[in-house]
Amino acid sequence: MLRYLTKRAITYVVMIFLTTSAGYLLAVSTLQPALLEQERIPRPTPEQVANSFRLKGLDPALSPWERYVDWLTGVLTRWDWGRSPDGAYINAEFGDRVLISTRLFLASIILTLIIGVALGVYTAARQYKAPDRVITSYSYLMYIVPAPIAYFLVQLGAISINETVGERIFFVTGTSTPGLEGDGWAQFGDMLAHYAVPTFAITIVGWGAYQIAQRQYLLDNVNADFVRTARAKGLTRNQAISRHALRVSFIPVAQSIAFTIPAIFAGGFFAEKIFAWHGIGSWSIDSIAQQDVNAATATLAYGSLIFAIGAILADLATALVDPRVRVQ
Amino acid sequence: MTNLNSIDPAAIVEEAKIENDDLVIAKSRIILRRFLRNKTAVAGLVIFAALTLFSFFGGYLSSWDKDTIDPFNIGTAPSPEHLLGTSQAGIDLYALTVEGARISILIGLVVGLVSVLIAAVYGCTMAYFGGKVDKVMLFILEALIMMPALLVVAVATSGGGNGLRNDLPSWLLLILVLLLFSWMGTARLIRSLSMSLMQRDFVKAARYMGVPARRIVWRHLVPNIGSLLVLDITRGVTGAILAEVAFSFIGIGIKVPDVSLGVLIGQATSQVSTFPWMFWVPLVVMFLLTGSLAMMNDGLRDAFDPSSGSVGSAKTNSVKKKNR
Amino acid sequence: MSRDTTANSGRTADGTAARRAENRAENTAEDTAERLHVAGLHAPTDAVLSVRDLSVRFNTENGVLHAVRGVDFELLPGKTLGIVGESGSGKSVTALAIMGLLPSTAEITGSVRLLGTELLGLSDKAMCKHRGNEIAMVFQDPLSSLTPVYTVGSQIIEALTVHNPTMSKQAKEARAVELLALVGIPSPRDRLKAFPHEFSGGMRQRVLTAMAIANNPRVLIADEPTTALDVTIQAQVLEVLHTAQEETGAALVMITHDLGVVAGMADDIMVMYAGKPVETGTVDDIYYTPRMPYTMGLLGAVPRVDAAEKISLIPIEGIPPNLIRTPTGCSFAPRCPLASDACLAAEPALRPVRASEKHGDEAHRAACIKTELLETEADVHEIFSAPSVPVSRFDAIPRHERKPVLELKDVKKHFPLQKGALIKRRIGTVRAVDGLSFDIREGECFSIVGESGCGKTTTLLEIMEFRPDQDGEVIIGGLSNKAAADGKARGAMRKELQMVFQDPTGALDPRFTVYEVLSEPLENLGLARPAIRKRIMELMELVGLPPVHVNRFPNQLSGGQRQRVGIARALAVNPKLVVLDEPVSALDVSVQAGVINLLDQLRAELGLSYLLVAHDLSVVRHISNRVAVMYLGKIVEIGDVDSVFDNPRHPYTRALLSAIPVPDPRLERTRERIILKGELPSPLDAPVGCNFASRCPVFAALPPAKQEKCLTVEPALEPAGAPRDQQFACFYPDGELDAELLVVHETS
Repeated sequence: MLRYLTKRAITYVVMIFLTTSAGYLLAVSTLQPALLEQERIPRPTPEQVANSFRLKGLDPALSPWERYVDWLTGVLTRWDWGRSPDGAYINAEFGDRVLISTRLFLASIILTLIIGVALGVYTAARQYKAPDRVITSYSYLMYIVPAPIAYFLVQLGAISINETVGERIFFVTGTSTPGLEGDGWAQFGDMLAHYAVPTFAITIVGWGAYQIAQRQYLLDNVNADFVRTARAKGLTRNQAISRHALRVSFIPVAQSIAFTIPAIFAGGFFAEKIFAWHGIGSWSIDSIAQQDVNAATATLAYGSLIFAIGAILADLATALVDPRVRVQ
Repeated sequence: MTNLNSIDPAAIVEEAKIENDDLVIAKSRIILRRFLRNKTAVAGLVIFAALTLFSFFGGYLSSWDKDTIDPFNIGTAPSPEHLLGTSQAGIDLYALTVEGARISILIGLVVGLVSVLIAAVYGCTMAYFGGKVDKVMLFILEALIMMPALLVVAVATSGGGNGLRNDLPSWLLLILVLLLFSWMGTARLIRSLSMSLMQRDFVKAARYMGVPARRIVWRHLVPNIGSLLVLDITRGVTGAILAEVAFSFIGIGIKVPDVSLGVLIGQATSQVSTFPWMFWVPLVVMFLLTGSLAMMNDGLRDAFDPSSGSVGSAKTNSVKKKNR
Repeated sequence: MSRDTTANSGRTADGTAARRAENRAENTAEDTAERLHVAGLHAPTDAVLSVRDLSVRFNTENGVLHAVRGVDFELLPGKTLGIVGESGSGKSVTALAIMGLLPSTAEITGSVRLLGTELLGLSDKAMCKHRGNEIAMVFQDPLSSLTPVYTVGSQIIEALTVHNPTMSKQAKEARAVELLALVGIPSPRDRLKAFPHEFSGGMRQRVLTAMAIANNPRVLIADEPTTALDVTIQAQVLEVLHTAQEETGAALVMITHDLGVVAGMADDIMVMYAGKPVETGTVDDIYYTPRMPYTMGLLGAVPRVDAAEKISLIPIEGIPPNLIRTPTGCSFAPRCPLASDACLAAEPALRPVRASEKHGDEAHRAACIKTELLETEADVHEIFSAPSVPVSRFDAIPRHERKPVLELKDVKKHFPLQKGALIKRRIGTVRAVDGLSFDIREGECFSIVGESGCGKTTTLLEIMEFRPDQDGEVIIGGLSNKAAADGKARGAMRKELQMVFQDPTGALDPRFTVYEVLSEPLENLGLARPAIRKRIMELMELVGLPPVHVNRFPNQLSGGQRQRVGIARALAVNPKLVVLDEPVSALDVSVQAGVINLLDQLRAELGLSYLLVAHDLSVVRHISNRVAVMYLGKIVEIGDVDSVFDNPRHPYTRALLSAIPVPDPRLERTRERIILKGELPSPLDAPVGCNFASRCPVFAALPPAKQEKCLTVEPALEPAGAPRDQQFACFYPDGELDAELLVVHETS
């Protein structure tokens, strides 16, 4: 198993390298920060711009390939991901951004999985009854709503609650109230008020897919031969399902974790944008707007890394629930 | 079993009249009949067709077009003069919605169809050649899956002056980028399905008969993954429409002056409480589009699935028909 | 925990006699219809399981399906009831209804009494007290019947925990080890921690049996427990069931489609057709004096491994009725050669066969109005108008004068076994086929037999591949694979050689009509459309399919019809040799007989040669002229089918033959059976000397001095004696067999 994971990890490192390189080359040949500099007041001379960029390692005179080699050397030898056109260091900003994104998504990912799987089991047990129909229809509805619009609607809802109550219960944007004073509890309350809306929005959009998948897999296994064997031993139908079918139906769900984490990362970018949390996702878009080659590439590399972690986690999770994989 | 002696010469004569090709049509007729039996699916098809017609010809029903500014009606609510009201720029919202729906449907159809085509060719090639070719192609595929599509969309459609971008309207660019990132999942599915088909006895039988490989792919492989392809087209169309709306909504997809449903929805968000119609009208159209596609997809899946409940009666019908 | 077995069996013997007497009295006293009416009210108290008028209906989209219609039987302790029938006859549904394992949509009526307690109508929870405790079941498919994510030990222990909540953990573990040892799993203590996928099919079937007998049930139901298994493993599993029955004194209900399997085990037989029992009686009644045409047909449809004289098999024409319509007359009438208008008037009830002097008492019942007609030892071949044995024009020509159509010279197929993640290392070689040489002459049927994994299928694939880079020479109709570098030569070979596949469903493209299926090879030959149409009609007639069926899709045909289409496709290009890969193993017995007869007839009429691979030695004996027995990639015995089967020299051949059950109860009871130890070893561990030594019953009985030779020298194929066409690879063909590996059942 360890050997297998190592092999997978090596494959993913190669892939990350390739996607990141491709991303850098794409970015460096299309993004032209010099054009933005032209819009400044007072307007700098082209020489000034070129000079300033050269100092930051963004020399527009070099060919994309030369810049790629420079950049790669920096990353590999000094772990230096370069600088932004405004002079900021990518490495410095990266940490903050990752922290914000992680804070925003960790709770949502866990909630999405737990609620999705739990509802899947619940609806499978009540197949074709009213709760099943309502919940499953909702999940199918989530398939046809674009994530940012759903987030936006949740935001609208929160705002209207605030308006009805006449008090600001929920903060629909930002990570915390700037300059808030008070003790730990006040800080905690503020944090909750900021977390509630985005976490709620991401979770209710996310769990639909899990509910449908878990429901389907469980229903596939409810009439499996081994469930019948378990019943023949003297287990009731419900016992046989909860002890035998459930565990087996987790196997494909565990495998699909690989696709959740990157999916939430991609969807997360919409959430960050709408709820104004300045995490990795919104940074990636902002950096493109700023024509910031190095920042865009760094976020791309992070995205690939997240995908790889998700895939390896999925392997581990599968091995955990499925002994057939473990042995190989 | 059947009796060797009971061959009816009349039946042979009758048989001689039956063109072999008719039977293939009979099969698709069964599928069509099963699809038509599903009310939801038919409703979906009708809504989708109506919307498509509306998006192409709806413009002729109104005297306003998407470029004309009505200086007397800026940001007005629906009225007899402007059926769905006007935008903040004073452009008729009905005309905008027609135009936006057309772009969205166009993006959806092109991306849905072409990406399935790419996926089918790529997936079948992988399954057919196998070995090293398969390994390399799978690696490329996984690398593409890994690449966050979003960033590439952003890079390709936003900022800077690039020759390509100036020559192409933003919706065409978005189609290209969506195409690049939408076929991998289907390709992987087609690969695994084709691989299992290659192992089936009927493919082996054809090989042992000396049927050339190309013919095996064309006659056995493609028809057997056909239902999957059709389902993936409707799914792909839905996905592309959703992606367009999502990207344009946050401002990295379609760019003004081009209009799409996503652009309309996105522009209206800032004043949703003052000009609610600007937000809800395109949103409802989008829901009708994606919803009708989802309904169709459901019906198609049932029609193709041999184990689905509606098969039973369809099969008995066809048997009866054949026996006649 | 374990009951006193001696006391139990003592009671069984007494109980049987008592019941016989009582039963007889009861039967004479009561009319059948009346007995059914009062069913369940006063079942004899000593029956462990008493089923009365059991009916099961399912509501389906197409209407109400009458899956089981009035099953009655009584089971005494320690006795075995065999329920025999084809697929769809309602035997499995009966078992599941007794166990209370049918879905809640099933409508069950009648009465099922277990030790005097009525089971029907019990809630799932109440039923759980009995299931797995007093009544247990072994299921058909061992591969999917164990939960893949739990260890075998935990699944056995679960069965103990459910009914013995107070039992200590150590006691449960000890009992699980005891059970695994009982069903013959080596090193049971270690195997407790193994997962199901680490076990072979036969081993899993043993685990299922261990689980079923964990709580010493009084009734054990086995639903086709050996269907998916090799004959040697089948013999082992049947032996395990026998042991289990002896250990627990349980009554056994054995459900099977194979009349051979139950012949030696059962005391009573119930034959089911279209959801109804159509004949019941003691095993001797059913096998020797069947009184219902269906039973007679079934018995005549099975080829026998012990019969040298060749007689045609009895095909039962037609297909079982659709159970959605309640039959108005006898449900077998449409397929019955004796059917008359009276048969269609009303469905005949199961009534006692008029007792003949010699055998049969009132327990022998049949549902046929022509029972009396059948009493006078009627010839079943005449009744069913079985075709005469076809004779090929080649049969008269001595074998050495006929041309060979296929020759194999030292064909080998070795797979490298690799290990390692990044850098692959070769850790060994799997010798799937290891130096095979044989030839097939015109007009003969040559069979390869052996357990799964012995290399039979790989041999076929090697022949079908036909490439110059193969190890060894394959010559088909004078064309050598060494000279077949281009597509043209291979195309020519494809005209000589065609294949029929095991699974008729998988071998036909579901999207092709029969016409398209048959036209594919013809189009490939470049025939014009009218010629193709003409040829297809010829083919349909040849394989006995109605011409209108060309419009059908495979899913609109029955299994036997599909296989006929497969045969027609193989014959389309007029090949000389047809490779048959298990051509009848996926078919029901009665349908199988029709296909075997067809193959026989085609061989004679068209002068075909066959290369047949089959695991059913009875079929092989029936259809083949020559046979090769394969073990671990090598031929261990080859020769004329009668010589090899009547006078097997290699111990493996002897074991294989002894493992085949024969549909003849008296013979079965006294037959000596060699139960091979373990299963086919991995071809990877092929030893230096004789491959078979590790399982050989002769080797086990040899003194160590003689064993040495088996372990160090590889035996070559030796002729068995001048006049006979037979060769074998063994040093001690006449060696004594190890007594421990021999089993004789002296039942009843």
